[in-house]
Amino acid sequence: MIGKIIGLVFSPIVFSIAFLAPLIAQSLTALNISFDGIPNIAVGLVIGGCLGLMAHLRGSWVWVK
Amino acid sequence: MGEVASTISSLDRTNANNNSTDINWDAMTDTQLEVMERKIASKYMKIFPLGIIVWGFANTFIWLSLWPLVFMGILPLWIAFPIAVLNVCLAYLPSHDAQHSIIARKGHKLRWLNELLGHVSLIPFVAPFRYLRYTHFEHHNNANDPELDPDFDVHAKNRVEFFKKVILRKQPGSGAQEDRYVEALIRTNKAHVMMEAIIMRVGYMLILYLLAWSGYALEAALLWWIPMQVANIYIPYYLSWKPHHPGTEMGRYKDTNAFKSLLGNIGSSGMQYHVIHHLYPRIPLMHTPAAFRELRPILIRKGCDLRGM
Repeated sequence: MIGKIIGLVFSPIVFSIAFLAPLIAQSLTALNISFDGIPNIAVGLVIGGCLGLMAHLRGSWVWVK
Repeated sequence: MGEVASTISSLDRTNANNNSTDINWDAMTDTQLEVMERKIASKYMKIFPLGIIVWGFANTFIWLSLWPLVFMGILPLWIAFPIAVLNVCLAYLPSHDAQHSIIARKGHKLRWLNELLGHVSLIPFVAPFRYLRYTHFEHHNNANDPELDPDFDVHAKNRVEFFKKVILRKQPGSGAQEDRYVEALIRTNKAHVMMEAIIMRVGYMLILYLLAWSGYALEAALLWWIPMQVANIYIPYYLSWKPHHPGTEMGRYKDTNAFKSLLGNIGSSGMQYHVIHHLYPRIPLMHTPAAFRELRPILIRKGCDLRGM
């Protein structure tokens, strides 16, 4: 049980939602970039979520494995 | 016995004259060289390493100070970022001296300072002191052993391969080095310290997540997460790969080499003289260059690879 929780904390999907998504959103805000009608956090969740899913499925954040 | 005594007396004369060229190294036997080597090394092992103590505590203090300074808008994030990168890259070495009990051995009145430095200096690098100490001892005992050296995975045929390897082994599907560290701890009956590593790493991730969702994602990334990525390449490069490359030989005078770094001795965290550390792990980091210069004639005759240093 504890092992599964720890695994979850380090999993790419959790990392992408819990860290990358707000990081992307706040980076967009800092750069004054916005998409009409779409909150930056939603953009962050989509981009971060896709990256996290890719890393989860491929076992790697980078293209080479 | 007489040979040893005459060697010591010869060294004492040399010290008095402060000129190692007076010694006819080629006329010395292996035993005499070994006596000279130990005598020179013991001189450096007695030095109190004040510099590394200041370095360790100051480095952690500066890194911790960056957070409130940035949060309160006193220090711009773009200035704090390179400082944080330096802090995290510099966090390991004071603990490394403490791992070898260079500040104070067990039973010494300053032992608490040794252990405190070991723990505190590693805070920016988010690494547990005892976990690193026990696995590092295994590295010393088995340097370049493909089966037993916990750092063996770092070996790569060239610099490009090293960078590729170090990035790939950080991927979610890899766990090569951590597996080796766990194996080393189990083998040496120190598995209990793994919990410290898990707690620290989980805590680090949770702090990053909490900061990110509290509106401080950029600060978390630039003060900690990216510096950690840089340090996780810089530290293995200079502390593991470079001084042990190509990592094909084992033995006291063969498993580590000297090298000339493009970044100089300071830029390479003093690792140009890592060979001295493997021969005498209790010589303080900051005194390895002086010890190297004095021991150099002996190291050459012992077959060390000094690469022109």
